[in-house]
Order: sequence, then structure tokens, then C-alpha cells
Amino acid sequence: MRYILRKVTLFIVTLWAAITLNFILPRLMPGSPVDAALGKLASAGVPITNAEKAAVEAQLGAPHTSIFVQYGDYLRNIATLRFGTSFSFPSQTVALTIGKALPWTVVLVGATTVFAFVIGTLLGVYAGWHRGRFADSSVTIGATFFGAFPPFWLGLLLLYWLAFKFGWFPLKGGYSPGTTPNWSLSFLGDALDHSVLPALTLAITTLSGWVFGMRNNMINTLGEDYVTFAEANGLRSRTVALLYAARNALLPNVTAFGLMLGAVVGGSVLVEGIYSYPGVGNLLYLAVTNHDYPLMQALLLVFTLSMLVAIFVVDLLYPRLDPRVRSAT
Amino acid sequence: MNLRSLAACACAAALLAAGASACSSHSAGTGTSTSTSSEGGTLTIQGDSGNPTLVENFNPFQPSTELHGTYLIYAPLETVSSINGSYTPFLATGYKFTSPTTLVYTIRSGVKWSDGTAFTPADVVFTFNLLKKYAALDANGVWSQISAVSASGNDVTFTFKAPNVPFAATIAQTPIVPEHVWSSISNPVTFTNTHPVGTGPYTLKTFAPTQYTLTKNALYWDASKIAPTSVVFPAQATSQSTNQLEVSEGQFDWSYTYLPDVKATYVDRDPSTNQYWFPPGGTIGLFLNLTQAPYNNVNFRQGISLALNRATIAQKAVNGYMKPASTSGIILPNEQQWLDPSLPGQGVVSQNHGAAMAAFARAGYTSQGGKLMGPNGQATMTIVLPNSFTDWAAAATEISSELGQIGIKVNLDEPQYAQYAQTTQAGTFNAAIGGFGGTGIPFNDYNLTLNSAYAAPVHTPTVNNFERFNNAGVNRALATLAAATNPSAQQQATDRLETMMYQTVPVVLLYYGGSWGLFSTKHFTGWPSASDPYTLPTNYNYSLLTVVTHLVKA
Repeated sequence: MRYILRKVTLFIVTLWAAITLNFILPRLMPGSPVDAALGKLASAGVPITNAEKAAVEAQLGAPHTSIFVQYGDYLRNIATLRFGTSFSFPSQTVALTIGKALPWTVVLVGATTVFAFVIGTLLGVYAGWHRGRFADSSVTIGATFFGAFPPFWLGLLLLYWLAFKFGWFPLKGGYSPGTTPNWSLSFLGDALDHSVLPALTLAITTLSGWVFGMRNNMINTLGEDYVTFAEANGLRSRTVALLYAARNALLPNVTAFGLMLGAVVGGSVLVEGIYSYPGVGNLLYLAVTNHDYPLMQALLLVFTLSMLVAIFVVDLLYPRLDPRVRSAT
Repeated sequence: MNLRSLAACACAAALLAAGASACSSHSAGTGTSTSTSSEGGTLTIQGDSGNPTLVENFNPFQPSTELHGTYLIYAPLETVSSINGSYTPFLATGYKFTSPTTLVYTIRSGVKWSDGTAFTPADVVFTFNLLKKYAALDANGVWSQISAVSASGNDVTFTFKAPNVPFAATIAQTPIVPEHVWSSISNPVTFTNTHPVGTGPYTLKTFAPTQYTLTKNALYWDASKIAPTSVVFPAQATSQSTNQLEVSEGQFDWSYTYLPDVKATYVDRDPSTNQYWFPPGGTIGLFLNLTQAPYNNVNFRQGISLALNRATIAQKAVNGYMKPASTSGIILPNEQQWLDPSLPGQGVVSQNHGAAMAAFARAGYTSQGGKLMGPNGQATMTIVLPNSFTDWAAAATEISSELGQIGIKVNLDEPQYAQYAQTTQAGTFNAAIGGFGGTGIPFNDYNLTLNSAYAAPVHTPTVNNFERFNNAGVNRALATLAAATNPSAQQQATDRLETMMYQTVPVVLLYYGGSWGLFSTKHFTGWPSASDPYTLPTNYNYSLLTVVTHLVKA
């Protein structure tokens, strides 16, 4: 019980620190939302005037109150779950903007993370069991090769060849232009088609982490006495590999997987950017370039909250997975 | 199973997925533009930046969030070419200055709003009074120039506070909104206008987060001259490379995108229909802070101007698409008719190290051991520019190396645009890369950059004249030009400004900023071109309306 109480206290303190940082960090960026909005016009070659700046300033309703008043409003808004209106999308609330983007990211990155975890871990088990042999080195070298691709570069490569040159996949977006998200079968198929390239990019570049983690844990575990004992008892090698070695080797990977799931909500700014995927990664990029404080704050809050919850859940679950943690605390 | 066979699996899965959906993914961009109706068909224009989805907003007074289609829905009195300031009439049939402070627009009769209500001069008066009531809507500062607007018969009269003849262009391009709709809107500043009622040639048909479609307005006063029956605007991607690939793939009839090696990446992909026109749309220059020494010394500025090789800078910055700029501030060839013929070499300054060193010597700077030394040691300069403007960055790198060769220590500072804006507007920079002009009207170009009325004290932000130029002679010449109603007086005053610009170097103008028009003649012809330069190929301002009303079915 004391263990849980301590974790809950820690969770609350960390949450407050994170919330406060979310407020401070965006405001440390030099320049104002008004300048950022005018920058979009300027980059298109539109001559900017003082009158235009004054008008945009009035339209955005950029804050004029003191930073402490803003912080008070911010805390109150979080407590009541009201995030206000963003500068980038003045016609809809921040909550709605994020609500529209979040499912795209959760499904894409979530499914890819689970996929990469399962495949990567199995490959790691396989390589670890056959350590030092051809199977091991081909998996290891392959994983090193693919793991070394920077995601944005692999993304551009796949985009150019598979989408532009061969025309197998659409160039951009989460669904075809002109359609509105709905639950019809044709729309889901369309969305699936649009998700193949970003999913492939994410999967290829994250797979190798799981492979290495699992392979190295396997090799450590295989040196343990109980594995030797199991082998000496004449158990089938598959039983030894999966039930005795892999089960124990899996523990650190499960922790990492929990944390990865927490990070899923953060999406992938680079990959979503390359494919213009309508997820939160893209939204964060937009919020930063527009100096959109309300949107940025709400996004960072969602990210930190999901990360903290993931850590909290892993903390709570860990004693069940590994009894040694229970006795240590 | 090793990784190789896994990769093979993934590829096979990918192939299957592609096979099943190849049709859907391909019809997205091109399928929409294959209508065979005799009336005109569909015009596909590379649309607004989607990020990656669009938010519906057709409020014509919100420059930073309105969608480009708004320009086809709300017609202004006239459109003004950003090439040379020539007018194309829409809701007005013409204008005249009855005195330098009295502008009379004659309103076209027989025009209807897209909901069938008759359009009247009262709507024009209502629109301008709306801008007066809600200053946040007055992005062009109309009410900083005029004091009253009134209608009488078919005429609408604007009374100016002080003579400003060229400001007629700004009044002309103010979108006109219907009184019977907008008078009952409680807050027009935040109004997103999702059911726009306008007088333009198109009305909104459908809106989806990734694309919107306009359809021809049957009630448009000149409907028989409008070729496309609908106009589709697919949202642009977040990533510029994706946008370039889409253009290259031929998804649009009209796009506005910088493409490297445009012949190979665009024209050659369909030489019979794909064409481009990259006219200059403004001037890129090195803005020196005139409140700081030694930049406030005209000899020093002349030295900088003479030390730079503008052809090389233009080559590095924009692939050689653009020419070195005339330092008179006149954009060539667009505004050729305004150029003072007495300026040597059309005002283009060539690199001349000897003359540069002589100018620096007059400013008290001489070369010592490869360094340009002055009263306070070596000449230094930090050039600030926004990191996302890659052409400016390439230019700045070349400037830095060329100035380095003559012994000036140059640093480059490349923050985000918002910080660049903050630094330049506050006047706390040494040097900045910036844009000059581009309105098509010499007075506006000169006034925004040189009028000392804008030169706020350092730390007080100003967007215009941020280099803080202050010259009584230039102010007088600007006032004369603002009040000039006859062409010869206008030419004379413009000549004076060109000469002063050339001699006093308030800004070291370098090369022209490009306007990147890419067209396909597959469905429509009549695009602006070097041989018919009726406006810039920009699809994000009233040039859009001018171009679309020029098109004829191919």
C-alpha cells in the first residue's frame, strides 16, 4: 500500500511540474503569434503593412494580460478541461481540433508500435536462441541496416519511389481529397490505403530497437542456471526457448513497451509531416510554427498526461510481473 | 524467418494493398479535371496550405485565415495588376479623382448577389463603414487614409484625409459584402462565413477538410465570359517536397510552387501542355540598420552595394530564374514604363571592387592585412533572416562570402520567422534580408519602405521602413507623387524617387523575388505569360480573380 501511495504522490507532483513547464516553454519562444501569422503571408511574397499587423493582432485576440494572470487562467482552464480557441483554427475549440487529430495518430502509431513490438521481439528471440550462427547475424545485420535509416529520410524515399514513381500509394493525407471522415467501408479502405506508407516507415525504423533489446536479454537469460537445468532435463528446445528463456527476457521489453505506448499519443512529427497525415504530430508542428499557445499547451498536456499515466501503470503492474520489485520496496 | 523474407512479405502486402486501391488513390487529383461538358469543365488549382487539413473560413477580411477561394466569391470594385498597376473593372465601371482628395467610383448596375438580391452602391458604402466600425477588419488601413464614404446615384465618393491618389488601388481591391447579410452578423471579426453570399463569378459548392469546390455563379453579371464550370482547390501538403511531387505529377491546371530545374521537373513531363512563367514579383534586398554606424553612412552602403556580385547571388538563391535587381526600386521588366531613362545601366549596379574600396575609404574604412578597418576596428555585420526562406539563406551565404573577401566580418543569424520579425521591427538588428515592393504601384513600394512616418524609434516595432530611413527630400517627393493626378507629374516624382533610391542606397537591392506560376493548357488557355503579362501568376490574392476570368476553354 505504501508503494502505491508513494507512486500516486509522485504522479501528482510530476503532473504539476509538467503542466507548469507546458505553460512556460511555449512562451520562451521569441516572437509573437501575430508575427508568425504574418510570416505565412510574407513567405508567399505578400507585402506586409503596419495596418495589416494591427488587424491580425485584433483578430487573433493575442493576450495582453500579465503572465501571472495568464497562468491563473491556464490552471483554471485545465481544471475545468477548457482549452479555449487556438490561433490557427479560430473557428473551433482546441479540444475539438485535437479530438479530430488524435484518433488518426492513435490508430496509426498505436498499431505500428504493437506490430513492431511483436515482430521485433519474436525476431529477437529467434536471433538470441541461434546466437552466433548465420540466422543471428543476418537478423542482427538486417536490423542494424534498417534501424540506421532516419525516419524522415526513409519516408521521403518511400514517398518518391512507391507513391510518385510507381504510383502504388497516394502522395499525401489520411484520406482522399474531397471526402469527409465517416465510418463507411469505402472510407475505411481509403484511409487504410493512405496509412500504408507512414506505417511502413514507422515500423521499419522502430523494429530494430525491439530486436536488439530482446536478443541481448535472451543471450543473458540463456546463460542462467535454470535454462541449463531445463535443457539437461531434456525439454524440447522450443519449450526452453519460449517458456523459460524468452519469458524472463521479456521483462525489460515490457517496460519499454509500456513507455512506447505512452508516447504513441505524441505521434511522430517528422513522419506525419512527410505524409501530411492528419494526426497530432502534424498539429504540434503547426502549433509551434504559428506560436499557437492554446493549441501547444493542450497538446503538450495530452502528451505528458498519457506518458505519466503509462509510467504510472507500468509502475503499478511491475510488481506483478517481477516479484523481486515487490520485496525490494 | 530472417529479415530478408520479412521484407519480402511486407512488399507483397504493400503490392496487394496497392492493387486493391490503385483506382482510388489515382483518381484523387486528376480525375476531377476530366469533365467533357461543352460548357467548360473543371479547373483544379493548387489550394491553400492544409497543415494538413483546412478549416472552413470565407470571411474576406481575415487575411491570415481566409481560404483562397474567397477571392472568387467576393468581387471587389476593380482588381489591380501587381505587375504594373493596371485596372480590371468588376463591380465598378471606372473611377476618377475630382480633386486629389476626392475619389469617385461609378458602380456597375444590374449586378446581383448570389442569393438573387440586387447589388447596390449602398452595399459598397456599408462595406467601407463596416471596416470603420470594426478596425480589426481593416487590414489595409483604409480608414487611415479616408475620412468619409457616401453614395449618390450610381456613384460612390471617397473623401481622403490627405492626397493619396495611388491608394485608389487599395480601395478598388476591397472585397464588397452584402448589407442584407452582414448587417445582422453580431461579430464580423470572428465570423467564419461558411455560407458566403457574394457577387463574384463563383459560389461555394462543397467543403471537405482536404478540398473545397466552387461552382459557377449563374447570376454573375458577366457569366457568359466565365469558362470553368467549377473550380477545385485541393489542400496543399505540410511538406514542400510532397507539393513539388504533386505539381510534377500534373495534378493541377494552375499551381504556384518553386521548382528546381523546372524544364525537367515540369515542362518535359508533358511538353505539349505544361508551361511556366516566373516573372519577378518583388525585390529582395539587404536592409542595413540606418540607426547604427557605419550603416548610417551613405558611402559605406555604396561600398557594400558595389562589393556584391548580384548575378552570382541571384544564381545561388533562385537557380538563376531571376535577374539582378535595378537599385532604383523599379521592377524590370514589369514596371519598365516607370524607369527613369537617365539612370546608368537601368540602375543595376555591377560588382566593382575598386569603386567599392573608394567608397569605403570615403566612409573612413581601409583595407589592412585583408581586413576592412575603420575607426572602431574591423567592419562587422550580423545578417538576420528567417530560417524557412531557403532562397534568402542561399543569398545570405553568398553575400557573407563576398563581403568576407573584402575584409568585412559577417555572421548569419537564422531564427524562426517570428523572431526575425521581432528583431527587424524593433530595429535592433545590424542587417537583414528582406523584401521590397511587389504591389505593382511604385508609390506604394517606395512609401512603405522609405516614408519616415513609419520610422518608429528603436524598440518601438514597425513593419514598414524598419531600416528607419529618414530623408526630408524623399518625404517631399513621396507627398508630391501621392498628390499627382496627371501622368507626367507622376513620372517626374517617380523619377526623383528612383534617383534618390539609386544614390542614397536606403536598401541594398539585390535580385528580384520570383513569382512561380505553373500552368497546364490541357483544359484552359489564357494564362498570364511573358507575352501577355496582365497580372502576376499568384493564386492567393485578387490575381486569382483576374486570371480565372481571363481563361477560355482549351
